[in-house]
Amino acid sequence: MASVSASHLEAASTLAVVVSSNEPLLFLTDDLRVIVVSASFCRTFQIDPATVSGKLLSEIGAGEWDMPKLNSLLQATAAGSAQIEAYEIDLKRAGQKIRQLVVNARVLEDGDPDRTRLLVAVADVTDARADARQKDDLIRDKAILMQEVQHRVANSLQIIASVLMQSARRVQSEEARGHLHDAHNRVMSIAAVQRHLAKSGVENVSLQTYFTQLSDSLGASMISDKDRLSIVVSVDDSVVKSDISISLGLIVTELVINALKHAFPQERSGKISVDYRSHGQEWTLSVRDDGVGMGDSAAKAGLGTGIVEALARNLQSDISVTDANPGTLVSVTHLADVIDNVPAAA
Amino acid sequence: MTTPKSADAGQPLPNAKLGPAQAGDIAANRKAVILIVEDNAIIRMGAVDLVVHAGYEALEASNAEEAIRLLEARTDIVLVFTDVGMPGTMDGIKLAHHIRNRWPPVKLIVASGRSIIEQSRLPEGSHFFPKPYSDGTIVEQMRRMLAPIETRQES
Repeated sequence: MASVSASHLEAASTLAVVVSSNEPLLFLTDDLRVIVVSASFCRTFQIDPATVSGKLLSEIGAGEWDMPKLNSLLQATAAGSAQIEAYEIDLKRAGQKIRQLVVNARVLEDGDPDRTRLLVAVADVTDARADARQKDDLIRDKAILMQEVQHRVANSLQIIASVLMQSARRVQSEEARGHLHDAHNRVMSIAAVQRHLAKSGVENVSLQTYFTQLSDSLGASMISDKDRLSIVVSVDDSVVKSDISISLGLIVTELVINALKHAFPQERSGKISVDYRSHGQEWTLSVRDDGVGMGDSAAKAGLGTGIVEALARNLQSDISVTDANPGTLVSVTHLADVIDNVPAAA
Repeated sequence: MTTPKSADAGQPLPNAKLGPAQAGDIAANRKAVILIVEDNAIIRMGAVDLVVHAGYEALEASNAEEAIRLLEARTDIVLVFTDVGMPGTMDGIKLAHHIRNRWPPVKLIVASGRSIIEQSRLPEGSHFFPKPYSDGTIVEQMRRMLAPIETRQES
């Protein structure tokens, strides 16, 4: 396998490697004369392979490779003063669309210091770029669409909230007003998740942030004297899927409303604690108040209790109500792999 | 869809709509005047309702142009509570900046369903709330912003 030192002969193996390269390749002398080009180069850039050998790069094809910038970069590379890495250049040909090229060039190092030759790889990235752009466009469109949807949802929730509050101010019956306020709070509870999702843009909700928002909103609408009653949130760094967070949020909403309504009669002051801990698959959500306790008025089957039970069932969890002395502690607990055959019938 | 005369036929609110005459009747203790700017009639009614129930006088506009006309016509508006997305040449954010430039003492509360982008584009000192807002939160903010003015008027 002799590489003869005669002036223009290259090793056959080198030539064969270049010609058969899958990636378009140019093999040039240091004065940018073509030694050989790969078949893929000819195919990609529509150049007749028979016409290229011995020509200057600027002469091949219809002269479209005569690009001053490229030439000077290649010369610099040959002289060893520059290296072309992922240099982007536009290939312009008469009657054809501009192609975007990425050029990489280096001096061939084959142990022959007397003759410098360049190996130039030319990738046509036009289609790949167009695909990437289209993907970017799609992602952007999707983001805009999501924002639009979220904006509309927010406005619709505002309409519902406004109507409920207006009705609440107008009804005569104290009981009806209470129900309307509760409905308003449920709407706000779902709105808080919605907002959280819009902000983070992901399907996961941090319960710490969400429950804090939620209790702030409940406090603002239900507690008139903030020195008398307070809601304290203590949640670990749990992150849950949005549908689960909605159920958990509604449970918190119902239990807090319940405590505010029943635990602190006659201007009694106190504190409601919302607590959530998880460990692996298991978690416990608890709402505790230091109010009057349930006494014998237990097991009141109001709408709130019904909702909490249904939500807890959805989450495959159990509710326990205990005397916290003072006050009441309601815990909703989910154990890992509890019997999964929950009866479907309600 | 401008100022609904009385959408709630059942129980007209005392002092609810543009009623400077009635408000003047309680001459001794004049109420602070709040301008509500919101294109959605139902949400606007709700906002008027919350302002009136908080003990203030409410004016309403369904777009920025109307709001500016009212601000030019009356000198007693102390706070503007505006939506962002509204038809017309000016949205709530531009309106907020315009008010801050032209009527600097007027306090600003802005609400919008697009919570992420807008907060940072508002004038200094204005307060932003994402929609849906809770009436309680808005009233609290109004009280905080108007407290200095009201105490000054009382003394």
